[in-house]
Amino acid sequence: MIVVPAIDIKGGRCVRLRQGRMDDETVYSEDPVGVAKRWEAAGARLIHIVDLDAAVTGRPVNYDTIAAIASSTDVPVQVGGGIRDASTATRYLDLGGVKRIIIGTAAFEDERFVKELAGCYPGRVAVGIDAKDGRVAIKGWVEVTGMDAVELALRLEDSGAACIIYTDISKDGMLAGPNVEATRRLVDSVSIPVVASGGVSSIKDVEELRKIGAEGVIIGKALYSGTIELEQAIEAARG
Amino acid sequence: MIAIVDYDMGNLRSVEKAFERVGADAVVTRDLRMIDGASHVVLPGVGAFKACMDNLERYGLVDTIIRNIESGKPFLGICLGLQLLFEESTEDGTHKGLGLIKGRVVRFPSNLKEGEEELKVPHMGWNDIKRKKDSPLLRGVPDGSFFYFVHSYYAAPEDSSVILTTTEYGMEFTSSIAKDNILACQFHPEKSQTIGLQVLGNFKDMR
Repeated sequence: MIVVPAIDIKGGRCVRLRQGRMDDETVYSEDPVGVAKRWEAAGARLIHIVDLDAAVTGRPVNYDTIAAIASSTDVPVQVGGGIRDASTATRYLDLGGVKRIIIGTAAFEDERFVKELAGCYPGRVAVGIDAKDGRVAIKGWVEVTGMDAVELALRLEDSGAACIIYTDISKDGMLAGPNVEATRRLVDSVSIPVVASGGVSSIKDVEELRKIGAEGVIIGKALYSGTIELEQAIEAARG
Repeated sequence: MIAIVDYDMGNLRSVEKAFERVGADAVVTRDLRMIDGASHVVLPGVGAFKACMDNLERYGLVDTIIRNIESGKPFLGICLGLQLLFEESTEDGTHKGLGLIKGRVVRFPSNLKEGEEELKVPHMGWNDIKRKKDSPLLRGVPDGSFFYFVHSYYAAPEDSSVILTTTEYGMEFTSSIAKDNILACQFHPEKSQTIGLQVLGNFKDMR
């Protein structure tokens, strides 16, 4: 299982939110490139970057910062947040250092968008399914839809998505553990890899997610607050 | 009935559910009689080679697996389940495998490159296959089909005629094999969406 440190960008800075609330932010660094290098030095094989401003506005506000991160480290990055049109998608996909992009809102709204992109960039388009009480939330988690997360996952798995990145919103940034049960349900239901995100705050959490068959785990807040050491998480994920 | 061998290595529900999706009657089991009574046997595997062999031995499954394979019933190894078929692996020391197929399991070299790009180990992600021969396992699976891989070691068969498909990752390696009733793939068909389910369905239909 791969451990993926997360870097969320808001206004060009590296921040962490609680439960995705834009008004509940902690700034961890003015230098996201430096943060990426820190994770690289700690052994990261992939870094997860989210453009929080874009997630709300749908425009790649922090593109330059993200491009700088991608080019400054040898570690590949996956980018998500507000990627809702082919032009933004390809701008990121064609950047050196970007392994894949993550489509969230647009995947919910139009499967064909994912299918077309995935057809042109096989293995490089992941879908993000973010859930609040099992219901899919979109547009920077501002809008909760009526759709069940597993149902959306089943719809999207034939679209050519490389994997599903599943986030439990209520756990995100809360350091209270992930939603193992919901993640396990998703892993068991779909025939593509699932990466778990949200709430991982201990080595035990990492081990549990590995046991249920998650292909990867994204860790954010716990790394920045010092609750988990990336090196230890990587070791625990190896099993 | 398809017996999916459970030896405590990984979450087998994905494999079980994937088989259910293609209409198979699949059971996750380590009961020797159930395996003997099954029409097809699947050996999945995630983790380290030695740990897999240790667990197979601990549960008394080695003889049962070999016997079932020799009986001629369709057998599918997935990921470690492919590697275990070989004579030995060099993962964390040298360890013996089931020895049913001649060859060794070795690590990807550390200087893999694709053009300018350095390729990291483990090989983790989607990659495509090239068919070297035909097999009912690949019915409806054309050259260039993408499957999901996650591994640091690969099998190098001594007899190239067992190679079913190869895949490029800085070098050409064997991504699946077929020898009589023994089929095995380094990739994870249960994680490779539609085309993966096609492979599993093909296996289910084999006699």
